[in-house]
Amino acid sequence: MDLSSRKSDVERIEGNKEELVQILEDMDVFLLTVGANGGEDVPDCVYVLPKLLEHMLDNYNRGRNKFGEDETYDDSFLDVANRIYKLSTCCSCSITLILDQTSSVLEKAMSLLEKDLCSILEDPKTQDKSFSFGSHSDLCVIFDTDSPNPPQQEQDHDHQDFFTNLSTNKISILSKIATTMIVVGYETECCMAFANFRRSAFKTALQRYGYGSMRMDDVSKMSWESLEKEITTWNQVVRHCTTMLLNAERRLYDSIFPNQPFISQSLFSDLVRHVIIHLLNFAQGAILTKWSTEKLFKFLDMYETLREDIIGYSCLEPCASEVTYEISTAKDRIVKAIVAMFCDLKNSIKNDNERIPVANGAVHPLTRYVMNYLKYACEYKDTLEQVFEQGQSVNITRVDIYNDKSIEEVEDVGTPKDSPFALQLMSIMDLLDENVEKKSNLYRDLALRYIFLMNNGRYIVQKVKGCSELHDMMGDNWCRRRQSGLRLYHKCYQRETWSKVLQCLKLEGLQGTRNKVSKQLVKERCKCFNSMFEEIHKTQSTWMVVDEQLQSELRVSISSLVIPAYRSFVGRFKQHLESSRHIDKYIKYHPEDIELLLDDLFDGNAMTMTRKRI
Amino acid sequence: MPATTESNQGSFLGRISIRRNQVMSMDGSHDQELEDLELFQKHVGDRFSELPADDLLSIAWLRRLLDEFLCCEAEFKAVVLMGRDPSHLAKPPLDRLLPDLLDRVVKSLDVCNAVTLGLDALKNLQRLAEIAVVALHHSPLGDGQVRRAKKALAALLAAMLHEDATAKATERSRSFGRRQGTATAKASPRSFSCTMARNWSASKQIHAMLSNLAAPRGNESSGLAQPVYVMGSVLVFVMWALVAAVPCQERNGLGTHFPLPRQVGWAQPMVSLQEKIAEEWKKKEKKGTVGLLDEIQRMEKLGHSLVEFADSFQFPAEADRLEEVKKQVQELSDICTRMQDGLEPLQLQIREVFHRIVRSRNEFLVVLDQAGKLSTPPL
Repeated sequence: MDLSSRKSDVERIEGNKEELVQILEDMDVFLLTVGANGGEDVPDCVYVLPKLLEHMLDNYNRGRNKFGEDETYDDSFLDVANRIYKLSTCCSCSITLILDQTSSVLEKAMSLLEKDLCSILEDPKTQDKSFSFGSHSDLCVIFDTDSPNPPQQEQDHDHQDFFTNLSTNKISILSKIATTMIVVGYETECCMAFANFRRSAFKTALQRYGYGSMRMDDVSKMSWESLEKEITTWNQVVRHCTTMLLNAERRLYDSIFPNQPFISQSLFSDLVRHVIIHLLNFAQGAILTKWSTEKLFKFLDMYETLREDIIGYSCLEPCASEVTYEISTAKDRIVKAIVAMFCDLKNSIKNDNERIPVANGAVHPLTRYVMNYLKYACEYKDTLEQVFEQGQSVNITRVDIYNDKSIEEVEDVGTPKDSPFALQLMSIMDLLDENVEKKSNLYRDLALRYIFLMNNGRYIVQKVKGCSELHDMMGDNWCRRRQSGLRLYHKCYQRETWSKVLQCLKLEGLQGTRNKVSKQLVKERCKCFNSMFEEIHKTQSTWMVVDEQLQSELRVSISSLVIPAYRSFVGRFKQHLESSRHIDKYIKYHPEDIELLLDDLFDGNAMTMTRKRI
Repeated sequence: MPATTESNQGSFLGRISIRRNQVMSMDGSHDQELEDLELFQKHVGDRFSELPADDLLSIAWLRRLLDEFLCCEAEFKAVVLMGRDPSHLAKPPLDRLLPDLLDRVVKSLDVCNAVTLGLDALKNLQRLAEIAVVALHHSPLGDGQVRRAKKALAALLAAMLHEDATAKATERSRSFGRRQGTATAKASPRSFSCTMARNWSASKQIHAMLSNLAAPRGNESSGLAQPVYVMGSVLVFVMWALVAAVPCQERNGLGTHFPLPRQVGWAQPMVSLQEKIAEEWKKKEKKGTVGLLDEIQRMEKLGHSLVEFADSFQFPAEADRLEEVKKQVQELSDICTRMQDGLEPLQLQIREVFHRIVRSRNEFLVVLDQAGKLSTPPL
């Protein structure tokens, strides 16, 4: 075995494809028969191939060749390595020395492959892809490209698989390296490299999208303004991760390990578990903060994010049960939080006990807050239905709901829904009603009390009717009942304020002695009317009715009561005063004046008569 | 105490027992409560004394520790929450002590997360060791196998050092790739960077958890302040032990001083464990090692020894040397098996502790909230 001749052999074979094929075949034959012939006849290939591999390694290491540049060369290298491995595992004692050399060169070959594997995986182009998450157009890119099976060929393209950014070529190299390493028994090195680099890449990608590691301690103490923003980012990151990144990752493993599904799955599921728990920790941290009502909508967002099917659990074995558990635990906590927030809302309503009535009978801020809250909440109606179904066994007791009269619906048409969420809504509305009623009792002026009740009642009904989900929830019957309630208040108001006024304008009772109309009595009536009317005008102009329709309804109904009565009174009894002096003192107003003055009512302005005096 | 006659004593005791009966009839549940509180402390002591003193800080030991912790926690909740008027929890000193405890609880969540990451790192070490085991099992043992084993072991030992080094180090080149210095911590094929938040420090966290942990004094020592203190101590001790055992981000400066009362029954087992662990820690801290986890310590020793062997290896090796190595490789393989069997369940257990802590904290908050409402009457 002449060294120099070996060397020239090697170089010759290296350059000559046919010779290479021949020598590989020789080796294959030898390997098949080595058991049988007891290793007596050791062919040349057994000595040459290791040298050949050594030589090729040398080329790679010195940079004369680069793995990935010449596919044929690379393939030959791998083929030779493959044979060397088989050689090294065949147990023929007479070639022990060879075995040591083969194991040695094999190790060097695997080192090289590992190095190349790492350098591809670590490629700055893979890691440092500058993708900015902040710009809106980029977001559109992410969320618009919904295609489930992006073509592999486009992997160089920026949009699809931008995350892995590995060209088809690179993937094929990785696949070949991986296969060889696995066959040769270097599976652990191979998998470790993948696991470590990909985890790091993921972490970087998530950071780039605005999600970094956080401490539970910090998150739990964050102010709501900061936390809100973080939750928004988190939602986007999680969705992006589960819709794009993890799918891309799955495809990557599938392409690199097409023939080793177990490895592909195991690597993937491990990564997924790590990433998901990393992401969920933030949610857990957010849930540690106080469960107050204003946080509802962000928490609902989080719940919705987690509700999406994450990846399709079949791909996640063996980590599927753990990931599922973690996600459902997080969801459960969010459900608890949301249910508690509704309780918090109810308690706030119950405890809103100020002793000072709202000025001018206007809509109370609490009414506004609650109705807007519910309206906004109904945008999440489906989610909230789910949440309350899930939370049903936890917090809500049907007992306190059964006590509400709202349950006693019999008719089908217009019946409110009776899902747990609907019952919650109903109970909140009832509490609000109670509260409004309680507040109305603070008004000593009964008329103002009714105005207040009308204002708030109207606001509530309008809000319900203006929101179809809310309307559905409450049902037509509820609306009708509320409206008839409003009409009742209206009547009460009229009676309270205007019945006495109308008394002044009664056509009867003005006869004095001898059944003649008493001038004195007429004068008194007029004075009475005037002072009452002026008083009412002064006071009730400052009252507030913001709802235009209600305002006009009120004015119209008052007009239709007062003006005809005034007209007929004046028409009937004016003549009796014609002869008096200062008739204007008594019949101060034309009916049209009254009309105009009535328009001042409920404007919330302090008006004086004199300005409007015609 | 002056000698009393039998009859005096009898009457004295008789008076006491009458009074006791009176108290009992007025508030019979109170005694039961006190008994429960005492039992809780006794149980804590019992549980910790049952932890085996040998095999300290092995994976199996840690799992036992966590089990005991969960039992303590469950009993604590039962004793403090069940059947109790919420307003009791809003009264001083509990109005300060309970929120303190809950704050400690939140900090321990971060420790749980760090330890979980540390266990991931250990899994990597296990894999490296397995490479060495597989390589060195090869018979006949050739240059290539030995080199492979050596590389894996060298990476293992380097990782052990690095895991303990501060997370600021970005240059962890155990890989072969060319590095452009960038700000983000780089991965290498054989390890990955810890991913707790920047500047997070396990030792500082433990230190923070220890602040305000003081035994209740005077008349506070009866009543609920005591079990709250006990639970706080148990929590911090368990977290401290985990940090000592498992490599977590920034453990330098982990305090070894623990303010546990030495004379008190429930604390004694913990104190003795703590002292043993602290001793080990001080020894190893000088050398700068990876963590007191028993399996890792042994792995480190074996790693050094096998690397030595690899350095001096020449094919073919002498038979007796090979025999020796074979034994060590077997030992290493056993450790790997223990890690293979134990690390995953340990990780799951830590996660369970995490979730349990969150759940319990929430239960406490609900009760405290109720208590708060009860103490402020509605208008």
